[in-house]
Amino acid sequence: MRRPLTIILTMLALTVTSGNALAAAMAPKAALKKIIVAKKTFTGSLGQADRWGNVQVTIVVTKTTTVTGTKKVAKRHIDSIKVPVFPDHTGRSQYISENALPLLIQEALKAQSTHIYIISGATYTSDAFAQSLQAAITREKAW
Amino acid sequence: MVAAALPGVRRVEHVMGMPIVIDLRDEGASDGMLDRAFDEFRAVDARFSTYKDDSEITRINRGELALADAHADVRAILARCDSLRSETRGFFDVGAASPEALDPSGLVKGWSVDRVAALLSAQGLRDFAVSAGGDVVTRGRARPDDCWRVGIQHPTISEAVAKVVAGTDLAIATSGTYARGHHIVDPHTGRPPVGVLSVTITGPSLATADAYATAAFAMGTNGPAWTARLKGYEAMTILADERVLLTPGFPGADA
Repeated sequence: MRRPLTIILTMLALTVTSGNALAAAMAPKAALKKIIVAKKTFTGSLGQADRWGNVQVTIVVTKTTTVTGTKKVAKRHIDSIKVPVFPDHTGRSQYISENALPLLIQEALKAQSTHIYIISGATYTSDAFAQSLQAAITREKAW
Repeated sequence: MVAAALPGVRRVEHVMGMPIVIDLRDEGASDGMLDRAFDEFRAVDARFSTYKDDSEITRINRGELALADAHADVRAILARCDSLRSETRGFFDVGAASPEALDPSGLVKGWSVDRVAALLSAQGLRDFAVSAGGDVVTRGRARPDDCWRVGIQHPTISEAVAKVVAGTDLAIATSGTYARGHHIVDPHTGRPPVGVLSVTITGPSLATADAYATAAFAMGTNGPAWTARLKGYEAMTILADERVLLTPGFPGADA
């Protein structure tokens, strides 16, 4: 069983000084702006897909924290939604690479300015998908 | 930095053969409210299930209960099934699978969500979502600073969301292959429709949206033209060639 939370990219911190080198040297310390970009993977609960086994949803989230003086602003964005455990009709697990996803999904991800809270779908596995995605999103909220 | 806890309470339970999500976002929402809402789903299941020996539907099918003596809700549901059959030109037909046995399950799911949503509103709750097997009703807001955002699952790629719908008071039903464990068939031919992967309908009533989605899906490639004439309901049809057809008022990702 994989651990529920996996840090796939350790925190990457960049220090950006505003303006050119001279201006930066002259600028007071309070003008320093620090941008911290972190990526994290959240795995939902194992959803029961009734006839076809289990579905487990993983979301990859980027959190961008901008620190100006004492002010912190965090923005989170879901980069991708994946089902690492998905039984196909023959019972084998399968992965579908993100490159193969149609443009439509890219548009959906782009249009999603903040969060998807709930899923509408038609299939048995979608119930499990919704359940697991719901759990993954709830975990991401606490990050 | 401490992330703000999600307001309210939420729970997933398995009722009527599907996971049901109730997500209450009001500050005053309690576990007791969730208990009562799930009790209501179980009461509907006890009355309408075709899998329970003592449900009213089973007793009607065994000839032990006359329709006239059935609960008012049972009579109302069966009457609505009849009116929807004619509204959909016979494409929503709960009697198609087995003419001798009533099975209004196709309408009961959406109807029960509408009913629970009304009960929650009557208790003074303003911000919540209820989903039964992927059919969703939302009210109010998900967070004080954000409306509800509903992802519509891609019909063939299980890991993908095909579209995001944002809004406050939404009812969204999606029909596609393998809905409720069996193929939706065209009642006129007995065969699954060709050329369409899924139909999503939004509008005021989830029961009606669900019936329209089932009917439009069963119509196959004739579905989009039919959905274009619906009053008060909007549709998104995803065709087998992955073209996506939307009625002009279909809600988008920006509320």
